[in-house]
Amino acid sequence: MKSYKKLIQPYVIWISIFLVVPMLLILLYAFTSQGNDVMTFHFTFENFIRFFQDNVFLGVLIDSFRIALITTVICILIGYPAAYLISKMNVKHNGFFILLITLPMWINMLVRTYAWIGILNDNGVINNILSFFGVGKVHMIHTEFAVILGMVYNFLPFMILQIHSSLAKLDKSLLEASSDLGATPFETFKKVIFPLSLPGVISGITLVFLPAVSSFFIPKLLGGGQLLIGNLIENYFVSTGDWNFGSAISLIMALLIMVSMYLTKRLDKNGGDS
Amino acid sequence: MKKLIQFKNIVKNFDDTLVLKGINLDIYENEFVTLLGPSGCGKTTLLRILGGFLEQDEGSIVFDNEEISKLPSYKRELNTVFQKYALFPHMNIYDNVAFGLKIKKMSDDVIRQKVTRMLKLVSLEGYEERNVDQLSGGQQQRIAIARALVNEPKVLLLDEPLGALDLKLRKEMQLELKKIQQEVGITFIYVTHDQEEALTMSDKIVVMRDGEIQQVGSPTDIYNEPENEYVANFIGDSNIIDGIMKEDYLVAFDEHNYECVDFGFKKNEDVDIVIRPEDIDIVKKGKGKLNGKVLSVLFKGVHNEIIVETSRGSHVDVTLTVYEKKPIYNEEAGEYISANNFYLDIQDLEELNDDDIIARADAQAWDAESEDYLSIANIEYDIKAEAGTYPVTFSTSKGTKIQVDIFVVKQKYVTDEKKRIGIAAFDFFTTLDEIQESQALDTDLRTWADAVSWNLDTDEDIEVRNVDYDFDVDELTPGKYIVSFSTIGREFKIHTTRNATVDTHVGIDFDPEDIHVMEKMGF
Repeated sequence: MKSYKKLIQPYVIWISIFLVVPMLLILLYAFTSQGNDVMTFHFTFENFIRFFQDNVFLGVLIDSFRIALITTVICILIGYPAAYLISKMNVKHNGFFILLITLPMWINMLVRTYAWIGILNDNGVINNILSFFGVGKVHMIHTEFAVILGMVYNFLPFMILQIHSSLAKLDKSLLEASSDLGATPFETFKKVIFPLSLPGVISGITLVFLPAVSSFFIPKLLGGGQLLIGNLIENYFVSTGDWNFGSAISLIMALLIMVSMYLTKRLDKNGGDS
Repeated sequence: MKKLIQFKNIVKNFDDTLVLKGINLDIYENEFVTLLGPSGCGKTTLLRILGGFLEQDEGSIVFDNEEISKLPSYKRELNTVFQKYALFPHMNIYDNVAFGLKIKKMSDDVIRQKVTRMLKLVSLEGYEERNVDQLSGGQQQRIAIARALVNEPKVLLLDEPLGALDLKLRKEMQLELKKIQQEVGITFIYVTHDQEEALTMSDKIVVMRDGEIQQVGSPTDIYNEPENEYVANFIGDSNIIDGIMKEDYLVAFDEHNYECVDFGFKKNEDVDIVIRPEDIDIVKKGKGKLNGKVLSVLFKGVHNEIIVETSRGSHVDVTLTVYEKKPIYNEEAGEYISANNFYLDIQDLEELNDDDIIARADAQAWDAESEDYLSIANIEYDIKAEAGTYPVTFSTSKGTKIQVDIFVVKQKYVTDEKKRIGIAAFDFFTTLDEIQESQALDTDLRTWADAVSWNLDTDEDIEVRNVDYDFDVDELTPGKYIVSFSTIGREFKIHTTRNATVDTHVGIDFDPEDIHVMEKMGF
């Protein structure tokens, strides 16, 4: 066994170079001002002060969290019943439905999001159908609705799969025990099934909320002008070239996400105990 | 006593296999009833149908004068203790036990009182706040019982609840369960495959097999008066013997008549006879009802389990020729070659090819220096299709030769017309080394001699149980020996505190009332 441990070393080196070092660089950039060279650093909090003093930035931050939250809630509302129904099916059929859910993930997320442009466009598929029935055009692309739709579409499978795996693990004899003790099917759901599937819901939330809050291409493609925090970071790195301010926003973002994850974990623990 | 539950002709299919073939069974109030049978006999299925987790295909269940077949499980007035306890992992012990009462919307005070009393009954007071995974298997088991009993059901169903516990804990829990049942005074329906458990706890045992009930009765009835061979075999150890009921109070087996206390059979009816191992005594040779040879003595703690063979099975004797293997050395080529004489069944002659001959003669050639095996390049032989001795010569490409003999023989074949058994084996050769290095000599001898036995009527294989030989393995020298193969004879299993020495001759004795005569099972 001991000799196998060495096999991990290339991976550690890889992670260090391509993950840890860039993160340290972000930390370094966030606390320095522009125009440094290799030898001299000008440490400063200016990037953070700039972010929190500007209402536009704060507005974008709040928008991002709001849209991610709405996306997550919709994913739970659609995902839970879907996962529940799949787990109720017999093994032969549920494999098919799991396949259906994972099937879109075989295609690149970017490509699928481009497809939505074609569907939601003012001259797109939906509007064509609507005008065929004599209903006027509905403007959908480049609205918040389109952004949320795109996010729900892209991230829903993660929610369903997480909830399904925790429901599938559920010991069927617990359901029999509950029924045996006099609980109706609804009471069994409320008192046994749902509490025991909470860990799946929590990890589903993590897997949906995280990419949703930091996504930048979905709002870019479907939201048109709408800026979310991901776009902001992208702009400062790619367009403006202000790596220091971009790093500061990334860091703020990372801290906020860590806090919200911590809160969800707490929720999970409390939910499990009560 | 009042009838509480009536199963009426319950039939259940799983994927076209009939699991329950029309079960009719009445269960009374305050009874401890055990459904006993091997796995797959349908006992758990019957319990699950009663619990409402499965629906029967045919038949009806009457519970307290009410047909409940269509009632969902949560409306049935009975509770179940599941095989793996099925405690809710997200609740503490208190909430687990209180689950049913909370569903019934009882007031918190009442719930607290009842839960506390129930935890006391299962001796787990003070465990209210613990989590399920902090409890041992035995404790979880007791919580599962408390969780079911707190609802004050009329019937408690227990599905092999002690299966996961170790032996000592299981014994304790058996007594405890019986105690709890007497204390709360309700009907327990208990499913198990453990006959000892059934005998210990039950008021009534229902022996099941392949979806049918074999016998219903008290533990003593079932033990002492099994209705058929199956029940006798399943409950306790038994000697079960084919016999003929000559007349009332007289039964015959192995060509002797014995007095017994059974009557009411037809004259000369074929019957099964049960003699329990603990009812048989070991006495001096000639002093008992039968004489026999002690085959084995096993110490079982309180008693010895002694197997005595009173008459030998069908047997066949063959000649074993032991020789020492000496390879031939060819100095010129630097090669060794070796081979054995062997016996060959005259019937195998037609299909014989060179590879067979090499294999059966175990012909091998190897290089003297490198010890690499060399191929046998040439085989010369001339065999006629009649019994006799034929030489065969093996040689390598460099001309290293060895000559051995093939003895074409007929299989030795004995048939016993009375018992309808045939047994056959071949004379065979083997080397001293092979016998001395054998890990399982009896099995190897059977293989080498190709000893087989079969039923003359059905052609079914019969086990060639015993292998006897007239040599001592440690002091074996080359030569001819007799090996005798025999089928299982009449063996009696005896539980006694007396001792006996293996291979000595003893008498065995039993009383007329120890002979239990049963009707033959009809298949």
